[in-house]
Amino acid sequence: MSLMSKLKETAICLGAGRVTLPYPAETRPVPDQFRGRPIFDATRCIGCAGCANNCPAREILVFDVCQEVRILKYLGRRCTYCGRCADVCPEKAIKMSQEFENATPQIGDLHQGLELFMSTCQRCGRCFKGPSILEALKMKGYRFDDLENDRWIFRSNGYMKDPVADDIHIELD
Amino acid sequence: MDSNTLWTIARGALNVVLVLLVAPLCQGILRKLTARIQSRQGPPVLQPYFDLLKLLGKEDIEAGEVPVVQRLVAFLSLASILTVGCLVPLGFASPLNAAGDVILLIYLLTLCSVCTLLAGLAAGSTYSLVGISREMMTMITLEPLLAAALIVGAVHANSLRLESVLAGSLYFGSGLPWSGIIMAVIILLAFQAFVQRIPFDISEAETELMEGPLMEYSGPKLALFKYTQMIKLIIYSAVFISLCVPWGGDAPYGLAFLMFWIKIFAVILLVTLVAATHARYRIDQAIRYFAAMLGTSFFALLLASYGH
Amino acid sequence: MLKNLCQKMFGRSLWVYHANSGGCNGCDIEVLNVLTPYYDVERFGIKLVGSPRHADVMLCQGPAMRSTAQALRRAYEAMPAPKLVFAIGSCACGGGIWFDSYPVIGPVEKVIPVNFYIPGCPPRPEAIIYGVAVALGLVDKKTAPVEFKQVELPIPQYHPSDLREGGKFVVYEKLEKV
Repeated sequence: MSLMSKLKETAICLGAGRVTLPYPAETRPVPDQFRGRPIFDATRCIGCAGCANNCPAREILVFDVCQEVRILKYLGRRCTYCGRCADVCPEKAIKMSQEFENATPQIGDLHQGLELFMSTCQRCGRCFKGPSILEALKMKGYRFDDLENDRWIFRSNGYMKDPVADDIHIELD
Repeated sequence: MDSNTLWTIARGALNVVLVLLVAPLCQGILRKLTARIQSRQGPPVLQPYFDLLKLLGKEDIEAGEVPVVQRLVAFLSLASILTVGCLVPLGFASPLNAAGDVILLIYLLTLCSVCTLLAGLAAGSTYSLVGISREMMTMITLEPLLAAALIVGAVHANSLRLESVLAGSLYFGSGLPWSGIIMAVIILLAFQAFVQRIPFDISEAETELMEGPLMEYSGPKLALFKYTQMIKLIIYSAVFISLCVPWGGDAPYGLAFLMFWIKIFAVILLVTLVAATHARYRIDQAIRYFAAMLGTSFFALLLASYGH
Repeated sequence: MLKNLCQKMFGRSLWVYHANSGGCNGCDIEVLNVLTPYYDVERFGIKLVGSPRHADVMLCQGPAMRSTAQALRRAYEAMPAPKLVFAIGSCACGGGIWFDSYPVIGPVEKVIPVNFYIPGCPPRPEAIIYGVAVALGLVDKKTAPVEFKQVELPIPQYHPSDLREGGKFVVYEKLEKV
């Protein structure tokens, strides 16, 4: 508790001057490879739902309206900006931008939605090929996440349990 | 009412307005200076004015054991410290000089500290009670120090009247005034505790995450308490200066006022430097420190009564 | 007139109370970073206080857990009006990675109403200062919802039993839209 040490401490701090960064007035550079908000490029997306399967916060929801139309919703709420969706995307349609200034009064502002037209096979007319013809009739591979409540529905068998049309009746095992 | 009384009332009002206007400015300078010592840009100097105005505009939630006493105490603390503001010379002679003596000054300053105790007690929550027990322990060893300094001055000046004591009376007497010098050094060392700054702001920021006795106050009552703390800085500096650093007080009228306020800003600078570079003491370390100084001040009182 | 002045002063001196209801402390550290000399936020007049009764803004961090939801609600009700709540971090905005875990009720907005969201895991100190600046009205927000539609719903549904021959073409008789 000597006096000289306190004076030396004051002299050092005063010698450093004013180190405050004038933040909102001037923008600050971000480091390279900084992971900010993911941006979904809809023109490249093929609708494989690899990003949805890989997201640790279950933030990307997939819903098949019918065989050809698939809705992908990225809600920005729980996203931890980990970048796994961008890593796994086969078409590099997700880019982790460098934007971190995402504050907003409505959380719906971070939402990105894609409605995609899935291309179909020329011969059988389906989007997903089942392992056998019977499996193909059971329509495995369809996704029905709960879009109203924003919940991921994890089904271990991807079968459609509701009747799809009047004259097609599928027997499940 | 004759013109003398009216004139006194006007001067009293002038004192009150001066103290009310300047206190937040001193607090603002203190915060800005602390920030600069910590190498950062601090809040603007007028920040405490904004704080007080914002607090006056907030809702007043009455929570605590005894809300009536809470209301009383908020006004009482500000009222008592403003009364002291009329008793203490602020660069010019104080208006209520003839109304009281040193005992009244000691009583009113103690009343101001007791208001903090009442505030915590009326709130009644656990953290408040811990805060006031620490404040009580500090007060027991601290108020006698100020009383001893004023009494030493009174003994030297041979009277208890305010205008003779608060005119540098520590240094009266023939030869080298040992007791005066000892008391001046002691008050300088204990000054931080009177104005409730680090390293001795034990009661109200010790439970730093819970703010101590003032925990249950919100809005306008909190504004009054914060105002009282800001004014205490100026009042104690004024008492310290008129007691221990009186030189330059006899210059012609304008210059004396200027010298006084320059001295006040020097004291604030000293308080800031000490507060920014120290850490807070524990309660037992602080009490041991004050007890040592209390012993020395009794020794100085003894010396003073023997004429040294 | 004094009331107008007091309301204008609200944005110039915000006192902040920090409430962590079950988070990992990552956002805690970023919030305390904001108070250090580099990103000094005290130049806006913001001060950290220890009691919710003194505070204007509550910084919530961490999802609302079953054990701390009651405490969070009581701290919110202890704040005097006018008050703001900022939800800092992905856990407070939407539940974070732990949203379906057993002690987690959900995002903080299930327990107290939230005024501003600052997502990130953890958000950079600059992002927190940006959020405060958006709240004070100094800058505009930079995000907006994005919708991309490649096909207009409803799309027509065709069934083989409705086909009939018509010259060179195959014609669908009945058109149902899905």
